[in-house]
Amino acid sequence: MDRLPQLDLEIRSLRKRYGGFTAVDGVSLQVGKGQFVCLLGPSGCGKTTTLRCVAGLEEPDGGDILIGGREVTRDPPWRRDIAMMFQDFALFPHMTVARQVGFGLEMLRKPRAEIAARVAEVLAAFEITALADRKPASLSGGQRQRVALARAMITEPRILLLDEPIGALDYSLRETVMIELKQLQRRVGISFIWVTHDQNEAFSLGDHVVVMNHARIEQQGAPEDILHRPRTPFVAGFVQGNNSFHGRIAGAEGGMLRIAGEAGSFLVPGASRAPGSAASFSVRAERIGPAAAAHANRLAVRCVTVEYFGSIRRYILERAGGALLKLDQFGAEPAWLRQGEAAEIGWAAEDCVLHAVPEEAAPASSAAPAREVVPA
Amino acid sequence: MDGTAYAPGRARAARRPLLDHRARSRLTAWVLGTLTVGFLLYQWLPILTLSLLSFSGPTGGTTFPMNGVSLHWYRELWDASIMNDFKPPLGRSFVLAIACAVTTCLLSVASAQAMRGRFRGQGLFFYLILLGIMAPGLLVGFGFALVCRILGIETAWNTTAFLVHVSWTLPFGFLTMLAIFNRFDPKLEEAALTLGASRWTAFRRITLPIVLPGVIGSLLFGFSLSYDEFARSMFTTGADITLPLAVMAQLDRQLTPELFAIGAATTVTSLLAILACTFALWGLRRAQRR
Repeated sequence: MDRLPQLDLEIRSLRKRYGGFTAVDGVSLQVGKGQFVCLLGPSGCGKTTTLRCVAGLEEPDGGDILIGGREVTRDPPWRRDIAMMFQDFALFPHMTVARQVGFGLEMLRKPRAEIAARVAEVLAAFEITALADRKPASLSGGQRQRVALARAMITEPRILLLDEPIGALDYSLRETVMIELKQLQRRVGISFIWVTHDQNEAFSLGDHVVVMNHARIEQQGAPEDILHRPRTPFVAGFVQGNNSFHGRIAGAEGGMLRIAGEAGSFLVPGASRAPGSAASFSVRAERIGPAAAAHANRLAVRCVTVEYFGSIRRYILERAGGALLKLDQFGAEPAWLRQGEAAEIGWAAEDCVLHAVPEEAAPASSAAPAREVVPA
Repeated sequence: MDGTAYAPGRARAARRPLLDHRARSRLTAWVLGTLTVGFLLYQWLPILTLSLLSFSGPTGGTTFPMNGVSLHWYRELWDASIMNDFKPPLGRSFVLAIACAVTTCLLSVASAQAMRGRFRGQGLFFYLILLGIMAPGLLVGFGFALVCRILGIETAWNTTAFLVHVSWTLPFGFLTMLAIFNRFDPKLEEAALTLGASRWTAFRRITLPIVLPGVIGSLLFGFSLSYDEFARSMFTTGADITLPLAVMAQLDRQLTPELFAIGAATTVTSLLAILACTFALWGLRRAQRR
């Protein structure tokens, strides 16, 4: 067995069931030293259960968990080198800020004077010294978040587990807190494992993003990787800004695949596959434009509506068959289409990303109804 | 539906009540306030009357008008004859009530804590505990005594009566603790565990302080329900009787203001017990704040 001491966390084919419901099904994950990992997925995908198994709050039905190279699968939470931040912060209502920040050190049976000194230091570092004698009920959301973070960080654990840690904050606060947390993580160098359903959080914070769905990992990698090279239709659909197409392999043309579906016939880069087999691919909204000579793939559409976000202008387009597509244009450029106008759009074959896994249990007999996913 | 159905604003303006909403809420407050005061009077007037009459003179009777004012009946109570000495039953009832309070408290916390998890027979467990409230006290006591007779166990205030009392007081404490745990956020315990606390430490440092009001409540239920329990004690207490049994025996023999003195004294004792618990709670809360 190779032990990898440079890994802060290693999960090997973790499984967890609740009665008949499989919450985590064969999840494997490696977290290097001081990495910022985000577990991303819709609710019920198993991301929180995975986190709770790492914390020792759930006992897995199978698989191994190693923290810092040490097997801890059956260890209770208090014997693991972790700390956890909960969505609603779980501050102890009967303790003052100073006392609960020092709780972790008290559990380590540190001398009283040492605890007091360290608490003062941490309170100062998190700029909450003024709150030392207050109880949680009298704190604002942002203050609670700081207290919870200070309480978790004071023992300098190897890994900090964060379960939707900014979900309970006001929207306006989130961006500031995200930047602060990222900087903090860089500074102290401990691993963060951050569970969220918000892809903006995941992609802007994570060094490594793990997209989960239905108890499994769909794809993991660097944010750019997941955003630009989705491996499955689910990831392509879940991640903002992708247009997915489904069809069947019609043949190979000059080192590329031709995929034919309800939407039309498209040229997609990819290694040879058996003709007739189901295939899907996606193309990012910003890679599509008005049809041009360089575009191997074209589609006739009608503009349904235009959304303006400042930095980009997003066209929601409807193709024959009624499915919707998205097309992004830089916001500074003049508008290209107006609502109700018809146009031909196109994109280069190289901008298509063939999904490694076409679709889960696609019925082989059906004539591959094309299904474009337009996430909100 | 035709077009006339929708007429915003008109429906509201049409009905003008006799009183405006402020007058109505003032009226409601008065009615409810009067009811509350009436209820409290109804509850406390008997005890007040009793206490007042317990201070009547040596020739005083058990009804108004009072014949003089004295502490005579309290003195009678104190230097009582063998026949009607209330001090031993009072002592027994007090010890029994304390024992019931502590037992009820421990068992309610433990059983309510058990109900937080999932286990086989959980529903049955819940209803079996609650059976203590539903079952008619007199019959429970009689049945228990019958079983004791069959098994050859002698009934006594500190053994059989104690068990039967706990079966009566436990459900009250149990329900109190269930209600308290219902509002308790288990994430707090989990937070403590991830901060290095063992399960016992997490319970002692986090859970217990937060559910303390319920713990005190179950103590009070255990004490007060056992202290004045009559029906269940009747057949299960044996020869050395408890206070409610002694009072009932005395009522059968002869009615004097001495009984009123007992009533007043016990009420004061109960109030003192509640005060002591409240004070303990306050003290614990203060200690935590340090």
